[in-house]
Amino acid sequence: MNDTLLSVSIALVFGIATFMILRRDLIRVAIGITLLSHATNMLIVSTGAFLGGRTPIITGDKAVSTGGTFIDDLATGILAPVIPDGIEIAYVDPLVQALTLTAIVISLATTAFLLILCYRLYQEQGTTDVSEIRRLKG
Amino acid sequence: MAAILPAAERVLKNRVGWYAAAVALICLLLVAQALPAVVNGETVTGSFPWIPSLQVELSFYGDGLSVMFGLIVSGIGILIMSYSNEYMSKREDLSRYYRYLLMFMGSMLGMVFSSNAIQLFVFWELTSITSFMLIGYWRNRPMSVYGATKSLLVTAGGGIFMLAGFLLLGIITGTFDIVTILQNGSMIALIKGHELFLPALVLIIIGAAAKSAQGPFYIWLPNAMEAPTPVSAFLHSATMVKAGIYLVARIHPIFSGTEAWFVLVGGLGIITMLAAGFLAFRQTDIKGILAYSTISQLAYMMAMYGYTSYQYPGIGVTAATFHLLNHATFKACLFLVAGIVAHETATRDITKMGGLRKELPATFIIGAIAALSMAGVPPLNGFLSKEMFYESSLEMGHILGGPFEYLIPAAAVLGGAFTFAYSIRFIDGIFLGKRRSEHLPKHMHEPTPVMLFPPALLAALVILIGIFPSAAVHYIIEPAASGILLEDVQLHVSLWHGFTAALLMTIITFIAGAALYARYGAIAAWQDRVSARYPAWSFNSLYDRIVNGASGKSTAFAKVMQPGPLSPYLIAMLLIFLLLSAVPVIMIAGTLIPTELNLEVPMYEAVLLGLIILASLGTAVLRKYLHAIIAVSAVGYLVSLVFIYLQAPDLAITQLLVETLATIIFLLVIIKVPQTFREKITRSVLARDLLISSAVSITVLILLLNASQGIVSPFESLSYYFIENSVPLAGGHNMVNVILVDFRGYDTLGEIVVLCLAGLGVYNLLKSRSDSK
Repeated sequence: MNDTLLSVSIALVFGIATFMILRRDLIRVAIGITLLSHATNMLIVSTGAFLGGRTPIITGDKAVSTGGTFIDDLATGILAPVIPDGIEIAYVDPLVQALTLTAIVISLATTAFLLILCYRLYQEQGTTDVSEIRRLKG
Repeated sequence: MAAILPAAERVLKNRVGWYAAAVALICLLLVAQALPAVVNGETVTGSFPWIPSLQVELSFYGDGLSVMFGLIVSGIGILIMSYSNEYMSKREDLSRYYRYLLMFMGSMLGMVFSSNAIQLFVFWELTSITSFMLIGYWRNRPMSVYGATKSLLVTAGGGIFMLAGFLLLGIITGTFDIVTILQNGSMIALIKGHELFLPALVLIIIGAAAKSAQGPFYIWLPNAMEAPTPVSAFLHSATMVKAGIYLVARIHPIFSGTEAWFVLVGGLGIITMLAAGFLAFRQTDIKGILAYSTISQLAYMMAMYGYTSYQYPGIGVTAATFHLLNHATFKACLFLVAGIVAHETATRDITKMGGLRKELPATFIIGAIAALSMAGVPPLNGFLSKEMFYESSLEMGHILGGPFEYLIPAAAVLGGAFTFAYSIRFIDGIFLGKRRSEHLPKHMHEPTPVMLFPPALLAALVILIGIFPSAAVHYIIEPAASGILLEDVQLHVSLWHGFTAALLMTIITFIAGAALYARYGAIAAWQDRVSARYPAWSFNSLYDRIVNGASGKSTAFAKVMQPGPLSPYLIAMLLIFLLLSAVPVIMIAGTLIPTELNLEVPMYEAVLLGLIILASLGTAVLRKYLHAIIAVSAVGYLVSLVFIYLQAPDLAITQLLVETLATIIFLLVIIKVPQTFREKITRSVLARDLLISSAVSITVLILLLNASQGIVSPFESLSYYFIENSVPLAGGHNMVNVILVDFRGYDTLGEIVVLCLAGLGVYNLLKSRSDSK
């Protein structure tokens, strides 16, 4: 992945998410965590993608024969797997996508949990401000 | 045994103590079974593997020494359990009390019959723990808790040193089995010549000294007197504090006969003997006097075990062993007497007592016998071992020659004189003299036979062993001494040896002791003055400083580490993240910003990313929750477009669905809470957070830019495997799906579990309602 604009955007979303997580308001913290997972997911997926790569869905009967490692070809600025016999692989990396798919679902679970916590906290304490909560009542 | 106790209690109600005594009796019989074999010089063994990989097995080994200890523990145990029946009030939690006592007895017996060093250590610490529970038995008294904590810290801490010493022994010999070492002359020689000899010895002696309240470690024993009196009699005079002595005796063959041994063990013993005897003067609490006397009597034994030389190895050892037995009899007896007195007078302050011989004649006689035995008056058993102590001191002084020829016997005599003085004070202060009735209850009466019998029996033993020592010596002391010296010991003890130097020393002792007793008040007053003037000069204050300092420091530390609000934790985490990720990148890449930037982007990508940035900023600046949430879901939907751009259709679909759900949850929650939350962000906080956020942002950017710059992957990507095998192995054309449900199915299972747990958590949170509403 060598897409400068994408990198900059991801980095910016990271920064904004950090700023939100540092807020005192728990709802804003939840928003920050959501943003953080978005940024992370984009980052991971983008590492496996490269210009001209194909969607990792096999259309023929079998995959293109491969072998070799991803190396960085500075001349084209593209991270691409280079195969010893010179045939380029056609697909973007499916593994990072699979991992990210799991991550998306799990981040939904954590976000939902956190939000319900905020809601209950507000019910019990009348505030969602973490600095006001000195003692958690049962 | 201890486990059956509560059940037994339900049956027996208040008579649970008798059950405990019966258990002790069974133990006694079991130990006594081994006696004939031991007298004939055999040993009893049994073992089964425990942690074979570490050469640790649960193995039991009984020789004369173990059997003698076993007899003392279980024998005194019976008496204590019976006595407690009357001593403890019926309102107490008796089951707990006897459970601890039996647990202690079990671990003590386990300890003396252990042949494996590691096993010995485990039982050793068990006795420390049970002792802690018993001292702190009255949980709501601060002094009890203080004493219990102190004893645990000191004795268990010493135990750790001891373990280190055992480990060194294990390193030297390659085995943890003490018996193997003992029966193997070449191993002992190896140890004595080894460079680790001294560290191992020092470490083990620290353990023994801590347990037996020797040297600077004495501080815990006086505080341990907060325990119920039977406990003090059992643990802190007759048995547990002897564990250190037992250890010294047990490792005696391995280490003795060296200079280090004499200096450490003998020197420690002599110094402690004098110091504790001297400090006993200040005590006004009858149990305090006994505590200090226990320390000094234990120091006798230490000194005697330390007195070994090559020419006459046996004298000190046999004397110490004999004294060990005698001390168990008279000191337990004295404690029980003190218990009776405290029980009847409701005070433990000796200055408030006096003249109790009229009300408590039987107690007086018993107490006098025991105290005189401690003072070393013939014809009681204390006299015999005292004589042997003097003999061995003379012997040792003679062997060392030079100034020691007089120094060691002189020290012994001085220690004896101190002993004499406080023993007499114990009798005089409590039973003789005028009655100070203003402090005492009007009507006192002799305790019930149940309470009187155990000390009476012990006093009878004191006399019996004194007048007819040969039986005890033959059946108990000789085998025990043989177990220590690893050779047959023949011993002849009798009351009258003729007029020897030791007898002369005894006479000097009595005279000096009487003189000391006459000056008692003055000495005590002087000690009081000194300690008042220099309160920081004691080991006690050192201990207090260390412990309180530790707890104070940890509180301060916790205050710094656990401030409460969320943001400090996060800031700490983020800063560490920055440090850990920025530093390696800078080191590897050399430059922060790579030169090769790829700025040619298609239009639609630029628009998409621009929108993402805008929406993200929106979440941060919008005041109303609703607006912020719309912004954050916009980010989510845009991210799904980014996934499409990055050739990931599955992710895009998932992201769409998930984002929809997340938005719904967000909206549901903010319906319930107020629409805005005005957080007053001060300038400094804003600056701080912006700084951190920018740092994070820049770090991520550098990471990402560098990630695409010539970092060659050191291994082949797993992805090729999936790409190649997705169709042939799993028959699926969508590789991402195949990975999720087939190649990495367990990950997906884990993901589902997380979802379920979160769902359950949410459900429970919603169901839970506090009662405060």
